[in-house]
Amino acid sequence: MTPLPPFANEPLAELRRAPQRELLIDALAELDATLPLRVPVWIGMDRREGDELVSTDPGTPSRQVAVAACATSAEVDAAVDVAARAFPDWSARPARERAAALLRAADVLRRERARLTALAVRECAKPWDQADADVCEAIDFLEYYARGAIELEDQAVGLLQLPGERNTMAYRPRGVCAVIAPWNFPLAIALGMSAAALATGNTVLLKPAEQSPGCALELVRALREGGVPAEAIALLPGAGETGAALARHPGVQTIAFTGSVPVGLEILAAAAAAPGLGAHHLPRVIAELGGKNCVIVDGDADLDDVVPGIIDSAFAYGGQKCSAASRVLVHEAVVDTLVERLAGAADVLVTAQADAFGTTVPPVIEESAQERVRHYAALAEQSGRVVSRTDAPLPEAGWFCAPVIATQLPGDSPLLFDEIFGPVLAVEPVASVDAACDRVDELRFALTGGLYSRSPRTVEHVIRRSPVGNLYVNRPITGAMVGRQPFGGNRISGTGTKAGGPGYLLQFVEPHVVTENTVRHGLVV
Amino acid sequence: MDGAALEPQVQEVGRELADALPRGKRGPLRVMDDRAMEFASADAELRSALFRFVDVVPACRGVDDLARHLTGFLDDVEDPPPPIDAAMRMGSTRAGRAALGAAATVGVKRMAHRFIVGESTRDARRVLRGLWGEGVASSVDLLGEATVTAAEADRYAARCSAALDDLRDVYDGLPAIALLERDGGGPTPRVNLSVKTSALTPLLRPDAPDLGRRDAAERLRPLLRQARDAGAHLHVDMESLDSREAVTDLVLSVLAEDEFSGGPSAGVVLQAYLRDAPVLAGRILEFCAAHQRTSPLTVRLVKGAYWDHEIIEARQHGWTAPVFEVKADSDRMFETLTRQLLDARASGTAVRVAIASHNLRSVAHAIAANRALGGGPADVEIQVLRGLGDDLQHALSATGHRVRTYCPVGDLVAGMAYLVRRLLENTSNDSFLHDQVTGVPIEELLRAP
Repeated sequence: MTPLPPFANEPLAELRRAPQRELLIDALAELDATLPLRVPVWIGMDRREGDELVSTDPGTPSRQVAVAACATSAEVDAAVDVAARAFPDWSARPARERAAALLRAADVLRRERARLTALAVRECAKPWDQADADVCEAIDFLEYYARGAIELEDQAVGLLQLPGERNTMAYRPRGVCAVIAPWNFPLAIALGMSAAALATGNTVLLKPAEQSPGCALELVRALREGGVPAEAIALLPGAGETGAALARHPGVQTIAFTGSVPVGLEILAAAAAAPGLGAHHLPRVIAELGGKNCVIVDGDADLDDVVPGIIDSAFAYGGQKCSAASRVLVHEAVVDTLVERLAGAADVLVTAQADAFGTTVPPVIEESAQERVRHYAALAEQSGRVVSRTDAPLPEAGWFCAPVIATQLPGDSPLLFDEIFGPVLAVEPVASVDAACDRVDELRFALTGGLYSRSPRTVEHVIRRSPVGNLYVNRPITGAMVGRQPFGGNRISGTGTKAGGPGYLLQFVEPHVVTENTVRHGLVV
Repeated sequence: MDGAALEPQVQEVGRELADALPRGKRGPLRVMDDRAMEFASADAELRSALFRFVDVVPACRGVDDLARHLTGFLDDVEDPPPPIDAAMRMGSTRAGRAALGAAATVGVKRMAHRFIVGESTRDARRVLRGLWGEGVASSVDLLGEATVTAAEADRYAARCSAALDDLRDVYDGLPAIALLERDGGGPTPRVNLSVKTSALTPLLRPDAPDLGRRDAAERLRPLLRQARDAGAHLHVDMESLDSREAVTDLVLSVLAEDEFSGGPSAGVVLQAYLRDAPVLAGRILEFCAAHQRTSPLTVRLVKGAYWDHEIIEARQHGWTAPVFEVKADSDRMFETLTRQLLDARASGTAVRVAIASHNLRSVAHAIAANRALGGGPADVEIQVLRGLGDDLQHALSATGHRVRTYCPVGDLVAGMAYLVRRLLENTSNDSFLHDQVTGVPIEELLRAP
C-alpha cells in the first residue's frame, strides 16, 4: 500500500480573486432553491423525518434552512444499541481501512465544497471567509486524524525490554462515542470530533447543535458516502434533552463535547452519575468549554498591527468563537491611542448580512444571543464608557448587534469575567505586563490569549506566566489551523485536549499492554 | 518589438550608464552605513536583530528602554562580533544603557535620513530643489501609520492636499528643464505626488474590493480636482495583491469620470513580479485607448515590493504564489512589459511609460527600447528610490536621461516600516544593488535575464 502524502492544510479559497467569489454566490443561489433541507433522525438505514426542530437564517429569521426531526430518548436508546452492535466490526478493521473511508469523505466535502460553504453562511450566518475556513478545517480534520490513526496503530510504543520478556503496548477504541457539537463551527467541530472517534475505531452518535442540523446532515452523508458504515455513524438532531439523554446513557463510553461551561459541567455530572454499581466502563468526557480571552498589549507594540489584529480577533463572526478576544489589557502608556484607534476601527466595520462580501459582523445566531449581547452592552453603558459608536444603523430583520468597545469598567464588572460570545470587547489599562498577567491569572478560563510586544524578553516572560492553552504572539488569537496550532483550553476552558494536535486521538482509545514470557527451560526462545 | 534584436543597444546604453556611475565620492557617513549594511548582509542573526531593533525604535520610551530592546535582540546573536559584544556589556549598567541608547538613536536617525527626505513636505524643500538643480524630478510619498479608522483616512487625505499646495511653492521659481517638463504626450507637471489607497480608506478588504474602492474614491476625487486645478500629477501606488483589484478599479473608474477627462495627469503602477501582470497591462492599455484624456495615463512599471509578503501569505493559505519565485523570471517579465508599454505608446495609445528600477540592465533595456521605437529621451522616464538609487540617478541625469526620484516624507514613527523594508532590500543577497556594491563585473550585471 502506498503511504499517504504528508498532511497539508486544505487551501483556503482565494477570495481576493473575483471568479472565486462568483462561484460561491452561484452556489448560494442554487442552495437557496433547495431549502429547507429535511434532516431526519438517521440511525443505521432508518430515517425518521419530522418538523420538531427548525433552523432559520439568523439574518432573515423567516427563512427556514433546515426542518429536522428531534431524537427522542427512545431513539437515543435505539441508536446506542445499533452503534454498540456495529462496534465489533468497525473497530476490528485495520486503521488503514477506516482512514480510507475518512479520506473518501474528505473528497466528498471537496466536491460539495461551495454548497457546504453556502450552507454555513445560511444556517449559521458565517461570513464567506469564515464559512470557507470552516469547510477547510473539516477536511483537515478528516485528513489529519486518518493519518494519526494509522500512525497510532503502526507505531510501536517504546517500552523497556529485558531478557526473557516481550512487552508491547497498543491502543484500542473505547466503544460508542457521543459527539455533542456546537453551531459556531457547524462543520469543522462536529466533524472533527466525529472523525477522531471514527478513525480510532469507535462508533459515533452525532448530536448537532439545534441551530445547525442542516450542516450536520451533510457531514453524515459525506461520511457514509465515503464508506463509514451506516450503523457506525448516526445522526441524532435534537435540543438539550437529546444531548442529556446521550450524556447519561450507560451504553456510551465516550462523550466529546464542545460548547458552553454550564452545559459542559452538566455533561460531566451526568456522565459521572451514569455508571451504576454494575457498570462495565467509566465514561470519559472530552470537553472544550469556551474562554474569556485576553490580549496583552505592551507599550512597545506596533499599534498598526495591534489594531487590526484585535479587531479581527474580537469581531470576526461577531465574536462568536470560543477563541475570540474579549478583553484587552494594554500598557497605560499607549492606552489612549489604542482605545481611539480601536473605536475608530470598530466604527468602520461592516455589520450586515453574512452573504455580503465585506461583512465582518453578521447577525448573531439567535434572538436570545441578541438579547444577551444587548444586556452586556447596556451594562457597559451604565457602568463604564462605550467608545464605539452606538447609533450605527442595523438591518431591520435578523439578530444584528453592533460591535461594542467598552472602557472604564469597574474591576468586578461581569463584562470582564463572563463569556459573552458576541461582539463585545473590554479595554483596560495596566501599569505593566505583569499586572496584565495577574488579571489573566484571576480568570477561571484559560483558552486562548494574545501578546503584542517587540521585546524578546517580555515575550519569553509572558510565555512562562501564561496559563492559556493557546497563546498567540504578535498576531490575531483566532484561526487555529489543524496540525499547526493544536487547539484547546486549560482550567475551566476544557479537559486540556488539543484538537488537531498529536495527542488528540489518545482520548478516544484505551491502552493495552501485553507481556509475554519468552523463556522456556531456562532459555530465551 | 523583438527583444533579441535590441541586445547590442542595451549593452551600449548599459555601459554608458555604468561609466557615468559616480566613483569615490562617498562621504564618510555613507561609507559607515554601507559597512553596517555589509555586516548585516553577512550574518543573518545580526541582520534580524538590527532590523527588529530599528523597527521598535519609535515605540521605545527613552534611551534606557531603547538599550534594553537592543540588548534583548542581540541576545539571539550567537557569535557576536566585537562591537556587539561591547554593546552588550554597556547594556548591563544604567549609564551604559543611556550611552548605548543615545548612540543607537543617532544611528537609526541617520540611516532614516538617507531614505526619507524630511519630516514634512516643507522640510523636504531643500532636497527637492537640490534634485531639480541636478536635473532630477521627484515624486513625493507621504509616509504614515496604517489607516485603520475613517479619521486617519481623512487626515491622510488632508496631508496629501497640503502637500500638493506645499509642493507648488517648493517648485515655484525654479528654472525650466524641458527634459523633465514635456514629452511626446505634452507637458508633464513638476509637482508629482504618490498616494496610497490603503491610506485613503480603512475599508480595503481582499474579498470585497468595492467596499474600499467606494470609500477611497470619496477622498481621492477632491485630491484629483485639486491636482487638476493646480496642474499637478497624482500617482496611485500599488500595494499587495490583496488590494490590487480595489486599487485598479478605483483609479480606472474615477479617471473615467467626466470631470477628470481634462486632467489631472495621473498614474498607476504595474508590478512585473506578478505572474498575471500581462492581464493587468492589457486592461490598463485598453483603458488608455478607450478614454481620450487630455493627459495620457502614466504607467509606472516596477518589479514589486511585496515579494516576501506574497510568498508567505500564499504558503500559509496553501495558494500558488502569485509572484515569480525566481528573480530572473521577474526580470524577464519586466522587459516584456517594458516593450509592451512602449510599443503601445509608439503605436499611438495615450500612455506614458515610467520605468522604476535600480537594475542597470532593466533600465538600459528600457532606454534602448524607447530609442529603437523612435522615442525621445523624455519619452521614457526612469524612476529611482531616494537613498537606494542615488548613484543611478546621478548617472542617468548626467547622461541626459529623464529621471524621477521617489522621495518619502514623514517622521521617524511613520517612516519605520518603509525604512525597514528598504534596509532589508538593501542587504538582501539577491538584490541588484548588492551585486553592484560587491563588484560583480559589468558583463554579468548587464546580461539578459
